[in-house]
Amino acid sequence: MLLLLLMPAVLIIVMALVQDAPFKSYKDLRFDLLVADNDNGTLSRDIIKGLKQSKNFHVIDSVKGEALNDAILKQLLLKGEYKIGIVIPKGATAEIVNLNNIIANNISEKIGLGNTLPVRNTRDSMYIKIYFDPVTQPTFRTMIHAGLDKYITYASTNMLVTRLSQLGKAGNDTSQANAKDLKKVFTGLGIKEEAVNDNIKEVLHINSVQHNVPAWAIFGMFFIVVPLASHLLREREEGSALRLSLIPNSQTSLALGRIIFYTIVCTVQFIIMFCIGLWLMPVFGLPALTLGMHPWILLPIAICISFAATSFGTFIGSVFKSSNQALPFGSIAIVILSAIGGIWIPVEILPETMQRLANISPLRWGLAAINEIILRDGNFAAVIKYLAALLSFGIVLWLISVYRNKMRNQSLQ
Amino acid sequence: MLYAIEINNLYKQYKGALAPAVNGLSLKVKKNQVVGLLGPNGAGKTTSINIMCGLIMPDEGNVQLLGKDAIKETQEVRKVIGVVPQQIALFPHLTARENLNYIGSMYGLEKKVMRERINNYLQEFGLEKHGDKRIIHYSGGMKRRANIIASLLHDPELLILDEPTAGVDIHSRAMIIEFIIKYKQQGKTILYTSHLLEEAQKVCDEVVIIDEGKYIAGGETKELIKETNNCHSLEEVFLHYTGKVLRD
Repeated sequence: MLLLLLMPAVLIIVMALVQDAPFKSYKDLRFDLLVADNDNGTLSRDIIKGLKQSKNFHVIDSVKGEALNDAILKQLLLKGEYKIGIVIPKGATAEIVNLNNIIANNISEKIGLGNTLPVRNTRDSMYIKIYFDPVTQPTFRTMIHAGLDKYITYASTNMLVTRLSQLGKAGNDTSQANAKDLKKVFTGLGIKEEAVNDNIKEVLHINSVQHNVPAWAIFGMFFIVVPLASHLLREREEGSALRLSLIPNSQTSLALGRIIFYTIVCTVQFIIMFCIGLWLMPVFGLPALTLGMHPWILLPIAICISFAATSFGTFIGSVFKSSNQALPFGSIAIVILSAIGGIWIPVEILPETMQRLANISPLRWGLAAINEIILRDGNFAAVIKYLAALLSFGIVLWLISVYRNKMRNQSLQ
Repeated sequence: MLYAIEINNLYKQYKGALAPAVNGLSLKVKKNQVVGLLGPNGAGKTTSINIMCGLIMPDEGNVQLLGKDAIKETQEVRKVIGVVPQQIALFPHLTARENLNYIGSMYGLEKKVMRERINNYLQEFGLEKHGDKRIIHYSGGMKRRANIIASLLHDPELLILDEPTAGVDIHSRAMIIEFIIKYKQQGKTILYTSHLLEEAQKVCDEVVIIDEGKYIAGGETKELIKETNNCHSLEEVFLHYTGKVLRD
């Protein structure tokens, strides 16, 4: 019994820790970034300055006192010592200045300033090169691409603002915005995330703890199938089930008693897992579990999940004839139902077909109900369909089990 | 109520079976008797017992145990009968005492009465020193004896034993036989099946021989031996009625 509570506890802690990084937004992480600056101009300085100021990148532009170049940078990446490197090409500033001058001249012409900045023909194929350690994941590459792109765009924009500002000063046109004002124009419309529910102050995010604690708690609860089915089969094989059926008590009430007992065990398991999420996860440096605005609804959800899990175990223990059949089926069924039910990976990021398939998994119903409460601040009405599904699933399987046990002695098998 | 057991035209065919396990069986067992229900393998002895204790529903017929309908009033009947199945029907990971306490409480026995009965029976069956030992660590004979005690705690009027001495050592068998005789002396009725006919001849006041689910012969043990042509023992009577063809 202790193992039944201890093992899921260990499981959720390990899973939350293991999955912490993949669940974090890239803006919460900090990466070492090798930079080889062959440009040494305003653009490269702006990019490096921006990267250094960011919380995401730790810029490394020299190793052992030697400034990085293309060759050293590649070597370091190939050795696997670093994951990302960028090379700013020679003449990048000159090229961007030229492009900005062209844009500024166009604007100047359109608004009738009459001033022009010097320009030349543009060059093709001028890139800031980015290198990755070959083992880097594609999603990570995309994230880094997007992050770097932001700083390059910012540096280019900054230079364009300066060009436009110079044109304004040259024409002595006081109605033109100065450089600071123009910067405001570019940065004036930002993005700020707010909670969809007006009643709460904090934005609820899925994170490792918010996903893993309920997900693996449900997985652990459903794993009761294995000991329960094993217990039922052992009772039959060892003869104690025969003794119980000879005693003048209703078999249905005995079966009901068993269901109630295991439902209570699973519910206690759920409560313990959530307590770990609330108070133990922060000890491991993870965020604490948040329960939303209606945490009391989690109790009926836990009871319904426990009932469904217990009934499933009773069903497996009743329809199979031996432990050799029941136990592998039970455990593999739970793993499959958990995989398609979004326990391993949130359903929302699965392909559409898998998202539809997820709806057949009782583990999905349980997780969706919990997510309604802890992520969306839902109320009882929001989870009632999931509770009804879990209860129906449990009742149907339990009735089949009772019928199967009743009919067992009526046939030769 | 003269009879402890009255079976009329009992019929049961299992799903998937080619022939009925019990085929129109009728018999009557008087109270305060030890009656042997004898028959070769597959004769229908265990099926008949399972119907009597409500584990199996018959297709036809009726069974009265101690004046109660065993099919319709199963729960009531179970309160007054004790069934010792062939299989050891105990919780192997519990001690004998834990098993007996649990089973006694399921019968609703008062704690004091239950404790007293458990101690008495453990002593009577030679298990008093092993009461706190887990059943899984018992020998075959000890398990059989504990299995019998579990069926006696509620002091049943009718005790049904399905091959209680099968595969047990000589001492355990002697103890079980002694107990059956003693239990009858308390005014109880005992229905007992066995393949050990010498033992049955010694213990049973009456015997009923069944084969292929049907009643073949029956009566007082001594009379039946006497009345059957050239037979001097129950074994000879049994072979006379059931033949010498091997049964599976």
